[in-house]
Amino acid sequence: MGGVEPAAAQRKSAVIRNPQDFYGGLALVGLALFALWASRDLPGMHGFAFGPGTAPRLFAILLGIIGAAVAAIGFFTNGPRLEHYAIRGPLFITASILVFAATIRPLGLVISSFATIVVCAAATSEVRWIETFIWAAVLTLFCSLLFPYGLNLPMQLWPRF
Amino acid sequence: MMDLITNLIHGFAVAMSPTNLLLCLIGTLVGTLIGVLPGIGPLATIAMLLPITFGLPPVGALIMLAGIYYGAQYGGSTTSILINIPGESSSVVTTLDGHQMAKQGRAGPALAIAAIGSFFAGCVSTVLVAALGAPLTSVALLFGPAEYFSLMVLGLIFAVVLAKGSILKAIAMVLAGLLMSMVGSDIETGQSRMAFDIPELSDGIGFVVVAMGVFGFAEIMRNLEQTATREIVQAKVTGLMPTLPDLKAASGAIGRGTIIGSILGILPGGGAVIAAFAAYTFEKKMAKDPSRFGRGAIEGVAAPESANNAAAQTSFIPLLTLGIPPNAVMALMVGAMTIHGIVPGPQVMTKQPDLFWGMIASMWIGNLMLVVINLPLVGLWVRLLRVPYRMLFPMIIIFCSIGVYSLNNAPFDVVLTGIFGLVGYWLAKHDFEPAPMLLGFVLGPLMEENLRRAMLIARGDPSTFLTRPISAGLLLVALLLLVVAVLPMIRQKREEVFVESDA
Repeated sequence: MGGVEPAAAQRKSAVIRNPQDFYGGLALVGLALFALWASRDLPGMHGFAFGPGTAPRLFAILLGIIGAAVAAIGFFTNGPRLEHYAIRGPLFITASILVFAATIRPLGLVISSFATIVVCAAATSEVRWIETFIWAAVLTLFCSLLFPYGLNLPMQLWPRF
Repeated sequence: MMDLITNLIHGFAVAMSPTNLLLCLIGTLVGTLIGVLPGIGPLATIAMLLPITFGLPPVGALIMLAGIYYGAQYGGSTTSILINIPGESSSVVTTLDGHQMAKQGRAGPALAIAAIGSFFAGCVSTVLVAALGAPLTSVALLFGPAEYFSLMVLGLIFAVVLAKGSILKAIAMVLAGLLMSMVGSDIETGQSRMAFDIPELSDGIGFVVVAMGVFGFAEIMRNLEQTATREIVQAKVTGLMPTLPDLKAASGAIGRGTIIGSILGILPGGGAVIAAFAAYTFEKKMAKDPSRFGRGAIEGVAAPESANNAAAQTSFIPLLTLGIPPNAVMALMVGAMTIHGIVPGPQVMTKQPDLFWGMIASMWIGNLMLVVINLPLVGLWVRLLRVPYRMLFPMIIIFCSIGVYSLNNAPFDVVLTGIFGLVGYWLAKHDFEPAPMLLGFVLGPLMEENLRRAMLIARGDPSTFLTRPISAGLLLVALLLLVVAVLPMIRQKREEVFVESDA
């Protein structure tokens, strides 16, 4: 990992030599700044006792420094170019998780599971719809038996009216 | 010595109870299953099964979860050997020679040697856990807050040094994890920190949420990008027994693999994956004819498979004696213990001897079960491997979603897990390792608590970490480690910069 790809040699003229690290480091600096902002109201050191805000600020500042260093090194030394982001997989996986979160309370486990499985199955281009619906039905049945009955978890199966 | 034996006998009595035997069997079977299936690891599985253990007695629950971990090391080899895809990340190197052996029609001996190696390593490391438990616990009792803090610093540095790739990025990940662990209520004052008045965040971000998102969901997103065709060795697996020369060649490798694995397992930040890599590399360097490796050398199967199993078990040592999880899976075990109201640490051994010794004994029993059940079941595992990933991943998604939801009955947790899935995907794209982040996240609250206490006791003087001998020693080791790891890297980077500016 992190080795210089042959392609990198051709990009000597590129301004940012290792965009993976450069943008990664910048994002961490962003996270650190965000944490500093989020903990701005917390009381800090009180005499020699730590306040609630001391440790978060301490770690945020350290993260900011290291993140900046990662970005700086990424700027000056060669590295792999940015990897291609897939859209389909992350999109449908995230969508299915959101579907589950949105429907589990109002609609119950049966409808929620079925919908979640169908949505996330679309995350791959290999999806076969008829197979998916049958598989979703089987899995839903399995989950509806396993979690509320097999494991005694308090879960509501059907919509509440 | 006598104490050890009486304790072990007590442990076996606990582990042999019908319930615990059954739970051990379930754990090892589930572990083997997920070990065999690529794309689902022990971390996601243990996270998924955490809610299930609510209803179980604590000893049984932990026996089962431990079984999943070492069972997975076992199952991973089957997939590596038969289809050239690692079933588990700790079995990556096993593919190199294991699959070559299978192609040469020697799948049987490869599987058998992996099983024998794992079993031997399991036996040795069980004894190690038992033997090291008591002395380490008494050391831990001498520790004050300053020592604990320094020990955790050392642990995190280990994790950083052993992570693959850039050390600086690994440190950044640790810090990000520490920072995330601060979300929620302050331990001492109860004041809400960085929670933005979201009620679900007032208790902090759940560990399972982070682990399942970064390791479970993100893993699926990445797997979906590679449409690898699985090439299963079609030939029937016949002739399981390795020949006498095979055994001779493998025995040394098994021994060395066990030693390397045991050491790397105890070290924080180590664990099964690194152990397997190290054992393979070592074996290759030791060999008279290194070119045999990658072409079906039996040592190339025996060493990493012994090492990963040994490491999986010895990584329980720091958890059970010091209360410090050395890797992400052990961090989940902390979660499991907390659910049952057990605080991991030196007091576990004295206050919960049933748990401590029962778990150790169950490891040996579990390893025995694995040998007995695993080889006859190879045919079944092969059939399972024909299940395409497009059917497998929706199953993982729904189980994970239900699992996360059932922890607190909170849909918000599920959404947060989804967000961490995207974060994990992004991290992978930028070549950041999520494991150090998770370790930082777990150790965060403990570290802060001990740091604050140590500072309070020393009346605000930070030199307390350097004037107390044990603490100073631990920090010195951490510093040395860091220097040793960083020096060659700086030199390399400098050269790179200079070469570039000359051009």
